[in-house]
Amino acid sequence: MIEMNAERSKLQEELLDLVAKEGMVEPSDISPDKRLEDLDIQSADFIMILMAIEENYGAYISVDNDLADMQTVQDLLDLAVAKIEESRKEAQA
Amino acid sequence: MKRVVITGVGAVSACGIGAGALTDAALGGISGVRPVTFPAIQPQRVGTAAALSDETLAEVAENAGGNRMRDPVADYALMAAREAAAQAGISRDDGGDRCGVMIGSGFGGGKTLDDNYLSFGRDRNMRLDPMSVPKIMNNAAASWVSIEFGATGPVYCTATACSSASQSIGLAFQLLRSGAIDRCFAGGAEACLVNGVFRVWELLRVMTATMNRPFSRDRNGMTLGEGAGILVMETLESAKARGADILCELVGYGTNSDAGDLLRPNPERAAACMNIALSDAGLTPSDVGYVNAHGTGTVANDVTEATALRTVFGEELTGLSVSSTKPIHGHALGAAGALELITTIGALRAQIAPPTINFNEIDPKIGFDPVSNTACPVETRAMMSNSLAFGGINASLIVARV
Repeated sequence: MIEMNAERSKLQEELLDLVAKEGMVEPSDISPDKRLEDLDIQSADFIMILMAIEENYGAYISVDNDLADMQTVQDLLDLAVAKIEESRKEAQA
Repeated sequence: MKRVVITGVGAVSACGIGAGALTDAALGGISGVRPVTFPAIQPQRVGTAAALSDETLAEVAENAGGNRMRDPVADYALMAAREAAAQAGISRDDGGDRCGVMIGSGFGGGKTLDDNYLSFGRDRNMRLDPMSVPKIMNNAAASWVSIEFGATGPVYCTATACSSASQSIGLAFQLLRSGAIDRCFAGGAEACLVNGVFRVWELLRVMTATMNRPFSRDRNGMTLGEGAGILVMETLESAKARGADILCELVGYGTNSDAGDLLRPNPERAAACMNIALSDAGLTPSDVGYVNAHGTGTVANDVTEATALRTVFGEELTGLSVSSTKPIHGHALGAAGALELITTIGALRAQIAPPTINFNEIDPKIGFDPVSNTACPVETRAMMSNSLAFGGINASLIVARV
């Protein structure tokens, strides 16, 4: 369990960097509780972020209700982590 | 203004060859979606599309294939046009300057383009297909149909993404109504299921990796399709003079643009478009008993379209059935509007609203049941078909029983 949490927080950190890079936001400006809107991350940036997630983690994330309802960076991280873990599980199965 | 009727329909789709195959599948809720593999996409993230079956491809190849100047997109259009012409009883003698052709496409000769890119870009070949230009050009399908039927009147190719076919049919309607032409082949053709096109749709994240479920709460994207839908449209006088059987009347057309965002649809503009079509037809919303929605199954489209439908038809959508047949024939982009209008004509004649299959649960943001999973009988004189395209281009068509 501890190992899994450590893995998850490492993944979250990596994703935070990825969101900053692909969303063209200063890494120092970004934190989990920031609203995506306030960071000026728009739909075109989303597509770039999702592409980078596919490249780095092999998870294909299409736009669904969960994604459309995201408000904060944490929402995005939670969703991405869930989808990445799901895709890893599928790959193992 | 002249009245405009439809006397023939033809289709090539994932449901098979023929408008009958398409309509039967749509009313019966039988999906043409199947597994697809693109060798150049590694790894491929989305594994299904409403692709033509091997049997359908073989039949197209036997009847319309083998021309070195023709991409499959034009083969599909020719097959569909021949079927529509046969039903309408039109031959080359009915061509001439009073006969037009309006056939749209989103990607044109996609296979030729893809083959050439791979050969030129990846393999550095200089010996490419010398007929690439006439095969790729978007208007090739329209031109081939004009040649086949000696239609020497106006030929147009609308390349307005998912509204291409609906706008082609709408344009034909306007030209016929004004008296500029007597007859027209109108519709759309698409052969977009090739490596490069499929990959860029994957990248846009609007394709589902699971299943296409329009209006369902758990929807997560569309499923691409391909094929062609062609209608023979003519003035009522022309049809009567030829003694042709009339399938239905095209009574209204609306089109407008969002002038806003390329990808994000606008509910107010979609509603305005439907209202233009209603007013064009001289109908009130209660006259329309069924709407074949654009209903792609993406989060954004379906919420927008539901909002627009409420604006036009009232909050409760009383007396109206709405469904999306895209999980059956796929989202065939430039052919979509034609395949869906042909489906709608089948629905009108059968007085049955086709189902939205794969539906699981009402989305609170949408709030209605889109004829979920099973067809239902309707009693109505008029039906509408919507197309809401990328680029913010909307088109609505209304057909009515004569």
